[in-house]
Amino acid sequence: MLRSPSVSGLRAPEAPPPHLARIAVQLQQITVEICTARGGGSGILWARDLVVTNAHVTRAACVAVGFADEQQAEARLLAADVRADLALFQIPPVAVTPAVLADSDALRVGDLVVALGNPLRLRRTITAGVVHALSRSGERCFIHADLRLAPGNSGGPLADAAGAVVGVNTMIAGGLAVAIPVNDVRRFVASALSGGA
Amino acid sequence: MTTVVDLSNALAGAVERAAGSVFAVHGRPRLASTGVHWRAGLIVTASHTVEPDREVTLTAPDGRTLSAQVAGRDPGLDIAVLRADVDGVAAADIGDDRDVRIGHLVLALGAGPRASAGIVSALDIRSARRAAGEMLAVDLTLYPGFSGGPVVDVLGRIIGIATSGVSRHLQCAIRASSVTRLAEHVMRGGKIPRAYLGVGTQAVALPDDLREHLGLTQRAAVIVVNVSSGSPAATAGVVIGDVILAIDTHPIADPGDLVAVLTPERVGKTAAMRILRGGEPRDVEVTVGERPSRA
Repeated sequence: MLRSPSVSGLRAPEAPPPHLARIAVQLQQITVEICTARGGGSGILWARDLVVTNAHVTRAACVAVGFADEQQAEARLLAADVRADLALFQIPPVAVTPAVLADSDALRVGDLVVALGNPLRLRRTITAGVVHALSRSGERCFIHADLRLAPGNSGGPLADAAGAVVGVNTMIAGGLAVAIPVNDVRRFVASALSGGA
Repeated sequence: MTTVVDLSNALAGAVERAAGSVFAVHGRPRLASTGVHWRAGLIVTASHTVEPDREVTLTAPDGRTLSAQVAGRDPGLDIAVLRADVDGVAAADIGDDRDVRIGHLVLALGAGPRASAGIVSALDIRSARRAAGEMLAVDLTLYPGFSGGPVVDVLGRIIGIATSGVSRHLQCAIRASSVTRLAEHVMRGGKIPRAYLGVGTQAVALPDDLREHLGLTQRAAVIVVNVSSGSPAATAGVVIGDVILAIDTHPIADPGDLVAVLTPERVGKTAAMRILRGGEPRDVEVTVGERPSRA
């Protein structure tokens, strides 16, 4: 009979803390797919009936969005700001709890961040890294993150270690992820809902 | 949830603490590099980012512009030590690089501050021109301008200086202890001496029967193809055609090993050189000299 190998010399591996995995699951719920004729992108479930994405993902008046539970819904364009690269869509209300929003002004260089999205059509992929730099020069602010994005991540959430959304992933520049801070997105949504945009 | 948030706060705290002694170094056209205030008035950066005979300016963490002079270089380790009047800028919190283990989380910092995160991937880099035990390999992205900046642990202590200038494929960090050694040369003597023998060499394979006959394990050595007149090697009687096998028991298998053995500490000291002349081993004592270097 084969003796089971002795494990006395090995330390039992401690169970990895499930926190990041929990954050990932939570963020997957609020990350939607934006399906367009020219490919796809990602979006954030901002409210039960609202989805935020990048304006460059789509400017179609009507688009299909996909949820983590494989449901699809028709989304109607409420507002788009090409300069800010943000778009707001209305969807029929869903039962999913929408994104928790952080205060992006409180971010610090070195903070852990994760990005959710559908890079290269790999659905709801998570990548992790740290805040690389915060550029606040001029009127536009950006979060630069040392993490990997790919085409399809556009419009998806950048979230902090607590799982709260800090930005909208928008570009890849010099290998860095570039995101619009969520505080700017708040202003865009507020102004769009008040009919200003 | 708290452990991940704690880790995130620790990383951001590490950046904040270390950033207080991080400078932008303007020593080449266009792209500024990064430097660290190592000890009172001495700023360390990557040698390849500071061009020779060039005015160097620094941007302090508080935004001031300061002028700096190159006090010494070690091109082998890609370290330059600059001297500047940096009143009010804290010196770096330097960690003990012997505590570093493969897999440890580390951050590389650029001036700004900017940050990049990853892990220690190797404790030793054996590349041709570098001595063992002076460099760590790190698995992180060194963004443009990060060379010369600190690699810090999760507590913000500096364990090395990042450089992309020593390897095309690896991101490296010169260990803090090696950097301190170079800074101490500048503090003691105002410069980093460059050790010098005065020989030109080429690698040669050692025939198997010769290795067997002499009981050697190394498969190669270097053959002397040039001896500068008046040099330490010439004074010691080394002639063209001698094969250098070892210096102070360090085997020399290619010219890079010779560079690696000739550390600044050897200047003025005698070294035992084991050579082959006409197939017969000999021991030669050589007093290592100093090469006149330019800043």
